[in-house]
Amino acid sequence: MQNRREFVKSIAAAAAGVGIAGRFAYDVLAQAGQPAAGGRRQISIAGKRIKVIDAHAHLSIRAVADVVKGTPFERNGNGAPNQIIGPDRIKAMDALGIDMAVLTQQGAWWYGVTDRDLARSIVKTMNEGTAAVVKQYPDRFVGMAAFPIQFPDLAAEALEDGVKRLGLKGGGISAGFLPDKEFSAPEFDVFWAKAQELGTLLFMHPGGDTGAEAHLRGKGNLGNTVGNPLETTIFLSHLIYDGTLDKFPGVKICCAHAGGYLPSYMGRTDGACVRQPDACSSKKRPVDEYFKTQIMADSMIFRDDGLRHMVSEMGIGQIVYGTDMPFPWPVNPDTILNNRLLNNAEKEAILGGNLIKLLKLTSASTN
Amino acid sequence: MRNRRDFVKALAAATAGGFVAQRGFAWAQGGPAPKRREVFIGRKRIKVIDSHAHLNIAEVANVVKGTPFERQATTTGDGIIGPARIAWMDRDGVDVAMLTQQGAFWYAVQDRGLARDIVKAQNEGTAAVVAKYPDRFIGMASMPLQFPDLAAEALEDGVKRLGFKGAGISAGWAGAKNLTDPEYDVFWSKAQELGTFLFMHPGGTNGNGDPHYGGRGALPNTIGNPLETTIFFSRLIYEGTLDKFPGLKICGAHGGGYLPSYMGRTDAQCRRQDDVCTGKKRPVEEYFKTQLMADIMVFREEGLRHLVAEMGTGQLVYGTDMPFGWPVTPDFILNAKFLNDGQKEQILGGNLIKLLKLAPATTA
Repeated sequence: MQNRREFVKSIAAAAAGVGIAGRFAYDVLAQAGQPAAGGRRQISIAGKRIKVIDAHAHLSIRAVADVVKGTPFERNGNGAPNQIIGPDRIKAMDALGIDMAVLTQQGAWWYGVTDRDLARSIVKTMNEGTAAVVKQYPDRFVGMAAFPIQFPDLAAEALEDGVKRLGLKGGGISAGFLPDKEFSAPEFDVFWAKAQELGTLLFMHPGGDTGAEAHLRGKGNLGNTVGNPLETTIFLSHLIYDGTLDKFPGVKICCAHAGGYLPSYMGRTDGACVRQPDACSSKKRPVDEYFKTQIMADSMIFRDDGLRHMVSEMGIGQIVYGTDMPFPWPVNPDTILNNRLLNNAEKEAILGGNLIKLLKLTSASTN
Repeated sequence: MRNRRDFVKALAAATAGGFVAQRGFAWAQGGPAPKRREVFIGRKRIKVIDSHAHLNIAEVANVVKGTPFERQATTTGDGIIGPARIAWMDRDGVDVAMLTQQGAFWYAVQDRGLARDIVKAQNEGTAAVVAKYPDRFIGMASMPLQFPDLAAEALEDGVKRLGFKGAGISAGWAGAKNLTDPEYDVFWSKAQELGTFLFMHPGGTNGNGDPHYGGRGALPNTIGNPLETTIFFSRLIYEGTLDKFPGLKICGAHGGGYLPSYMGRTDAQCRRQDDVCTGKKRPVEEYFKTQLMADIMVFREEGLRHLVAEMGTGQLVYGTDMPFGWPVTPDFILNAKFLNDGQKEQILGGNLIKLLKLAPATTA
């Protein structure tokens, strides 16, 4: 799996002390130094200890391997070691000063499972495994349910089971679409209705399906660099233009990687409606209203003014800290703490305050 | 081609009176031509230059007649420059427009002779438009990018023989070829040698055939266009083309695509996976503060503020995408609360006056 290969390689590079700082801007990247060795970092703002919550962290569940054994998905069941939650992940969080992480499954391979029972079994194993991780480290993790969205009814069932039986705090949408379907299609209404009924937060992460375009080959890892935000952009555009968010105003979705391109470049979504009004027959509100109410984003924009721009467009309550652990993006909490364009209240909201409120978590950290 | 289809649809609406009525063009329905709006900042009359305007040259139809491209030539409609375009510019307060060809159909022409002839007809037609309205238009050369050597030749011919101020890159790539492939060095080095300004506009090839761009929202345009520019700029940065040719200056249409508004990930990916960044020499913002420019078509004041913060005022130029009906009159700049008068003047025209060595005076 490409992601795993990248991770292993970059860890190796970090261990070898490869210096590449010269190619970066003197912005947040330069401030995102290596974490201090040893001990749990405790983050304070103006003397006040604050709870840092990572909205964007991944895990894999080892027991899934048993479920897919002997099926065409056998090779997908083996989660990379750094995606199995254990002491190493805790140590990494401690070093960065992350008190709590919201866990979603890594990948979206089970969306390709066409057998209903197998899909249900995979997701059940994932969710029970996630619940077990949360039980083992109750003060460090919050779990999000996986679901087989290729079967909208089963997805609704898995979301409800995850929230009600397993105590998960919401659900993770692991890709922006299925190969031949948009999530704004009417058959998914059963899922969106359930999410709205439960009032759960959904965290959407691209599945890596948009990188096959020939022009994305070559340097820059464009399948990920461009492909990931692109997938989220398509996902949100359908939900906006097809009226899904208007139909289900209680749905709240936080999108990974700064929500893709749209939060930073939302004007064209409305501009297109002036140019071609017939393309906008189902969209009910100006684009910024969706981002100020139903759509949230993580903070992975990597530039001070980029984050300020998102805060201006979406409002401070819509943005949450995220890291994409175990992938080594330059996103330690200093990138928020040192942002010269945010005030202390804004920093606290992004680093944890917003999620404490939204997920009804305790604001106290455990140390 | 999606863009062409949109264009045709807009034309059909215009013929029916729907499109023009919506934009309030009484003159197009037989009323008097509008008075020419003169834009002032304070008491100073400033020259407003639209960097992003398109035209079609009707004579191209004769060149492609009897070829598989016969249906691609546009001979009527508001891409043909005439009194209607002048009236539109007058109404909005646009003094001068930089004209690039609408579409990119000729990139698919496999015959060198035909490609050369199409581009020659386009460029001579554009030069004729400029000769007719010398104070209202600036011509930009079109090029057959599928043949890098012919593209270099067309660029030089356009600048030296026809007096163009730059050239239009009409798509982010030419079929399967990426413009960062080594065979394009001959083109980039010519552009650098001539010191010409290049305006890149997406060709509308993203999203076509991809089912996920179907449905509402005109996504092949709404997403496809900025995406194509994002890939184009990403390749120029990551493949080292801009480092190899530091004299290149390229303006990206539609706010330069997504990258100027979302540039952090370009550097961050190098931190995540540094072996994919072997061709890139500088932090991403340095490309956008020097070689890459963008038009201001982001439609939100805060979006414009972000572009200014990331790129600097000197890298941004006013653009409208005429004859398409985007909501972008000069008031978008004039009303921007965060800009001072000097910055407004720069964006509306000053930057291009300096860059292209134009006369600062207007004729009105």
